[in-house]
Amino acid sequence: MMKLILSNFLQRPTRTFVSIMAVALGVVLVLVSVGLCYGQLTDTAERTRRIGGDFLFQPSDASLLFALNSGTLPVRIKEVLEKVEGVEAATPILAKFLADRFHLVFGIDHESFEEVNSSLRFVDGALFTQPFEAVVDTVYSTSNQVRVGDEIEILGHRFKVRGVFVQGTASRVMVPLATLQEINGTPEKATMFFIKGRQGVPEEQVYKRLRDRFKHYKITRTADLQEIMASSTPVFRQFVAAVVFLSVVISFLVILLAMYSTITERTREIGILKSLGASRSYIVQLILKESVLICAAGVTVGFILNYLALQLILANFPTMPVSITLFWKVAAAVLGIGGGVMGALYPALKAAGQDPVKALGYE
Amino acid sequence: MNNRIELAQRKDAVVVENLQMVYRVGKVDVPALRGVEITVKQGEFVAVMGPSGCGKSTLLHLLGGLLRPTSGRIFVDGIEISAVNDTERTRIRREKIGFVFQRFNLLPTLNARDNIELARRIHGNGYRNGSGLAVDEVLRLLRLEDKMRHKPAELSGGEQQRLSIARAVINKPALLLADEPTGSLDSDNSLLVLQMLQELNIRYGQTIIMITHDLEAASTASRIVEMRDGRILNRVQNLVYAREQGLF
Ligand SMILES: Nc1ncnc2c1ncn2[C@@H]1O[C@H](COP(=O)(O)OP(=O)(O)O)[C@@H](O)[C@H]1O
Ligand SMILES: [Mg+2]
Repeated sequence: MMKLILSNFLQRPTRTFVSIMAVALGVVLVLVSVGLCYGQLTDTAERTRRIGGDFLFQPSDASLLFALNSGTLPVRIKEVLEKVEGVEAATPILAKFLADRFHLVFGIDHESFEEVNSSLRFVDGALFTQPFEAVVDTVYSTSNQVRVGDEIEILGHRFKVRGVFVQGTASRVMVPLATLQEINGTPEKATMFFIKGRQGVPEEQVYKRLRDRFKHYKITRTADLQEIMASSTPVFRQFVAAVVFLSVVISFLVILLAMYSTITERTREIGILKSLGASRSYIVQLILKESVLICAAGVTVGFILNYLALQLILANFPTMPVSITLFWKVAAAVLGIGGGVMGALYPALKAAGQDPVKALGYE
Repeated sequence: MNNRIELAQRKDAVVVENLQMVYRVGKVDVPALRGVEITVKQGEFVAVMGPSGCGKSTLLHLLGGLLRPTSGRIFVDGIEISAVNDTERTRIRREKIGFVFQRFNLLPTLNARDNIELARRIHGNGYRNGSGLAVDEVLRLLRLEDKMRHKPAELSGGEQQRLSIARAVINKPALLLADEPTGSLDSDNSLLVLQMLQELNIRYGQTIIMITHDLEAASTASRIVEMRDGRILNRVQNLVYAREQGLF
């Protein structure tokens, strides 16, 4: 059976090639878009988590993608927050999305930030002390070739780089809160607070107290961030679902078309197989195996193309986080092959049901 | 006479009783067979003759289980194939029947050897089965041993037909059915193909039913039957026919 399948591939190399590439396209679509989406999400969640603190405090209508929020929380809330029993410290952060560079800049309050955070490590320099000083992470430093003492431009203002910290905490670039508030036109306002619980007090208790006290605010446990982000980020789910659907549809239609035209062209061949005593299931298997093979080749090519595409993206946008979990790799493969098998089912059954005498060209 | 007694003692390869076949084309019934009766003994080589449209191919397709009869009974190698379902008929075809067609019907993408090998695999349900004949032996018998790697398109018509015969007999079928096997061949190649069928019949005792237009081809068979209008002529009718044809 294998020889028959392979000889058919070679007989129609263009169609085989196009089918493989189409399935590959579906796979690349899933891997690249999911990879970038999840990458962004995981990265944001992880870096947010590493700011420290146990809770994230936001206005009730806020999104967890900070880029979408402006500064609306009064900084004064800090005192109220810190009065809640079990709260050790709270630090306000103003987030501003730099669309042209596709990353966030955080305005942080030096003093309270250090109370909450414990992960920030400087490879060079230290946290800022002056209004127009900034700190950048190692990724930013490398990709923009910025060192301590250099000047960088943020939102039309010049900042002197005071320190370079190990990437993985907060945003790529951080400046003093007050300075960013002023530039942003939101004095005394913050996007969110990070709250650290007191050692020895059960997190659950503090969480409950915060929620009772601030009913109209959104309070998120930082440990749950990634999951909540994935489920609450606007259109994220719909986007992933759409991409998945599209990829299945591509595989399905391409294989349906390829196999349908194949069996139409090979009517006589199917008649011959039947005259030799090939059963229905033999013919169904023949068509399905052929499709699975095309799809498997498509998936393989898709993984290779995905790798190349990501290399290309990372070469141009080194800070772009990418995360493709094993789940999604398996899912992309299953979707590509599954869609193809579904597409092959109808032609396969049609072929198996053909009248052998007619297929042999009698009449 | 001796021969006849010996033949009568042999088992039946094919028994056909009152076989009717009506094709339905739209709302019109087209009767193709109107009560065919025939018995073929094991080891016989029967030629079926008759004018175009008299139902020869229909009979062959029914014998090979490619069609289901409207009524009547067909036994092949003792099994009533007219009484079984589609799956079972397919199995019987796989195990007991070998087809040879006028248009060869080889798989164009496979070479000679693989065409034969495929028939073996289908016979063995996907596995190479040990029973049938050796591929090399059959290729040698049909003088195709140096054409093993050739695709059908690279073979002459005569070679293609010999290949299709090789494919048909590779699994030692109880019954070889040939529908005008020399219909698309020139006389030299026809002769070669007929000689080979005869050799298979004599040397291996292969039971053969062959449809042909050509009286010369029919004369290689051990028995000739004549069909007219969906019936097989009886012996008296046959005699009349033979006289008409100047055989006596
Ligand atoms: N699939 C079919 N549908 C309708 N009529 C058919 C079909 N096959 C054969 N016939 C008719 O049945 C009769 C016998 O055909 P066939 O068995 O092919 O005869 P032969 O092989 O002797 O030329 C003819 O009248 C033919 O037109
Ligand atoms: Mg015919």
